[in-house]
Amino acid sequence: MNENTLEKRTFKERAKEALKDFGLPRLIITGFLLLLFILAPFVGADLPTQITNTINRFSWNAVMVLAMVPMVHSGCGLNFGLPLGIISGLLGATLSLQFGFTGPLSFLMAIIISTPFAVVLGSFYGWLLNKIKGGEMMIATYVGFSSVSFMCMMWLLLPYNKPDMVWGMAGKGLRTTISLEGYYSQVLASFLQINIGNLSIPVGALLFFALLAFLMWAFLHTKTGTAMTAVGSNPTFAKAAGINVDKVRMISVIMSTWLGACGILVYEQGFGFIQLYMAPFYMALPAVSAILIGGASVNKASITNVIIGTFLFQGIVTMTPTVMNNMIHMDMSEVIRIIVSNGMILYALTRRTEGAK
Amino acid sequence: MENKKKKRMILFRILTVLALIAIAGVMFIIGRGHTVYFDSKAVTYEGTTVEAPYKIEVYVKGERVAKLYEGERGMAGWMGQNFNMELEITAEKGGDSVRQAVSMTLPYNMDGIILNIPALLKGLPEQAYLSEFIPAAVEEEATEEVITDEFGITDEPGGGAEEPAP
Amino acid sequence: MNKNKVSTKPSRSIGELLRDNSVPLMFILICAVCIPLSGFSPSYLLDEIITRMGRNVFLILSLLIPIMAGMGLNFGMTLGAMAGEIGLILASDWQIVGIPGMVLAMIISIPISMFLGFVCGTILNMAKGREMVTSYIISYFINGIYQLVVLYLMGSIIPIIHNSIKLPRGYGIRNTVSLLEMRQKLDNLIPLTIGGVKIPVATFIVIGLLCVFIIWFSKTKLGQDMRAVGQDMQVAKDAGINVEKTRIISIIISTVLAGFGMVIYLQNMGNLATYSAHSQIGMFCIAALLVGGASVDKASIGNVFLGVILFHLMFIVAPTAGAKITGDSMIGEYFRVFVSYAVITVALVMYETKKRKAKSRAGEQLAADQAAEEELSEEQ
Repeated sequence: MNENTLEKRTFKERAKEALKDFGLPRLIITGFLLLLFILAPFVGADLPTQITNTINRFSWNAVMVLAMVPMVHSGCGLNFGLPLGIISGLLGATLSLQFGFTGPLSFLMAIIISTPFAVVLGSFYGWLLNKIKGGEMMIATYVGFSSVSFMCMMWLLLPYNKPDMVWGMAGKGLRTTISLEGYYSQVLASFLQINIGNLSIPVGALLFFALLAFLMWAFLHTKTGTAMTAVGSNPTFAKAAGINVDKVRMISVIMSTWLGACGILVYEQGFGFIQLYMAPFYMALPAVSAILIGGASVNKASITNVIIGTFLFQGIVTMTPTVMNNMIHMDMSEVIRIIVSNGMILYALTRRTEGAK
Repeated sequence: MENKKKKRMILFRILTVLALIAIAGVMFIIGRGHTVYFDSKAVTYEGTTVEAPYKIEVYVKGERVAKLYEGERGMAGWMGQNFNMELEITAEKGGDSVRQAVSMTLPYNMDGIILNIPALLKGLPEQAYLSEFIPAAVEEEATEEVITDEFGITDEPGGGAEEPAP
Repeated sequence: MNKNKVSTKPSRSIGELLRDNSVPLMFILICAVCIPLSGFSPSYLLDEIITRMGRNVFLILSLLIPIMAGMGLNFGMTLGAMAGEIGLILASDWQIVGIPGMVLAMIISIPISMFLGFVCGTILNMAKGREMVTSYIISYFINGIYQLVVLYLMGSIIPIIHNSIKLPRGYGIRNTVSLLEMRQKLDNLIPLTIGGVKIPVATFIVIGLLCVFIIWFSKTKLGQDMRAVGQDMQVAKDAGINVEKTRIISIIISTVLAGFGMVIYLQNMGNLATYSAHSQIGMFCIAALLVGGASVDKASIGNVFLGVILFHLMFIVAPTAGAKITGDSMIGEYFRVFVSYAVITVALVMYETKKRKAKSRAGEQLAADQAAEEELSEEQ
């Protein structure tokens, strides 16, 4: 009898704890999205189209959100330096096009070519972050900004010369947007695509994400993976246990950077264009806030967080404009997105967390 | 002792706030900007018709802001209610000009004020020479030049990549 | 033991001096290369620099007080800039022009800045140890709120009289608000031109007053408290200082000053880019301050002036110099963007490595002391 009540209480407590873990902002965001989905048919928005859009955007962005996971695990904090990974991806993409690859092969080659860049840039980035433990996030932000603005010069100066990539007049200097028509536009999305009426699901793109997510999950259960988690949750203990903290952190940063590179390539195949110059500048923030909305914190993140977060974030991004427009003829989606995404990051930063500073 | 200090502090703060409000109030009075338009055209008021002279030159703060022939309009900005200007009137072509200082009080609630100079000089009552300028409905603006000294990067803080609605 | 003492002693060799001032030195080098290439005349450069000093120094000075309180570079100064902009929008809608308009805009900005500064300070107290990244995100977050207010509430809930600043749809403020009636009114209040170089005397007087205020403030009890908090929060707390409150006050002062600074900045520009004027202002001010040799935990008025001169010199000459070298004017534009970000990155990295070194040195010292103590007890 006594035991029973005890168990009950613990269950209640556990439920309470789960709710607390879930957090009020997350609850509000989930509620908001649900409300949008309920409202959509009433204001005349086509629900299947909306769901298709949400899933599409999910498939574009999920890999970039996944790129947050390794660095959070190793205690490097949120990867505000994602643009560095994106730069590697862009280098891979442009070089793959420049070397004359077309169709699905160009996508594969883009990934392959971007890998060495991701490894080199990631190693440098990791080395830097190892030197400044404790101040990762701010410096990551500025490493991202600096690299993007540095590459702005490089896009102009590097000797690319493929006619459909460079400015027509000068014959040199890459364009701001490069169409991927005939290259790898929709290459994943159209693979095994399911179409039911207005609803279409880009199975290939989802499978690609699932593959990467599975690999990530598997990696986190290997010896190196568990070491990474140990470093993230308690660096002193990890050091005492004989783990080479710096090396593990380095690996995590390289992984994040490489996933960032893949992420942008997947995004491009969905979007249909390569965007250069200032485009990668603010790409870190949506990814960061997505994983936080999914339930991650500054030093804890899982694959589930990635999936839930990306879905919620992209859901809001796609649903708000249509629903708002149909309802009050006022497009406030941009403002709402800014407030929600940055509010979420702010919320996460102000939580007291152990281990990571 | 402690209490007294606290009281003084509160008093000091209230005084500061009041002083700021007072300054703001003064600014409202002395800083009210008006655009004054000068018309030089014939006007008929209660039977009397006033002809416009050949040429009127308007000086505000020693600077010539308008040179008006018959039927023309000029404008100048002014801050505050006490408006001063100097007029140089040439009645006929080739004739001598007369300089005349005019000062008047501008109505606070009007942004744009049209002054009919001939009527004003003739000494007609206010409703004859003063009327409010109401701007025509704002036309769709042409692309306006935004002057900034920094680099031409339009960013959207906190936003994502620019994606067209799928 | 002896060796340890040597390492902790603050010896300043020439090498260290060079390293401490590497950022300004680098900039002097860049400018030395770029100025002859750009082909601008010295009087043109001087004129530009003087104008830009009048425009920017007040804003940059607003960063000093949070640094004193150990809160790092206050990216949240953007909040003050937004408050100043709201003041200017309202003043220009009420058609209050000239210097009275500026004063009114500043007075309107005070309560908004104080409120935002309070919010910012409170949040930063919840995120001790990562103030900078938090203040940086706050600036984005409040930018969202600012857009909400200016783009949707102004004209619908907050009354806006004039159609000239409203969007054609009836609510929301246009992309640009003309400040023609306010343009350079402060700069030209006391006209002075020396050898073709226009000097905004009144603006410099205001800046001078602020400098005096900052020097005076750092000597008051509150200023001393801030220094103590900046050095060590725990020690300050033990000494009976209300740490949280002191930190909030430092942010409030900074925000209010940034609001004033923005009004001065915009009166010089002569128009207000409603949605973008503030977005990069924090980044520029911080970069300029760092270029002047400041670091995250130490900055002086001298750093501000040196920084403005060097940073803006680079800014003016880089595009033309870049065009001369590479034949493409965009290169120079991107180059100066890159340099601004790189400077901040380098300064942040130097600060963090120094902090870590100091920490490990303190650790070593502690270990050495303990070892010495043990030795002593063994001897006894």
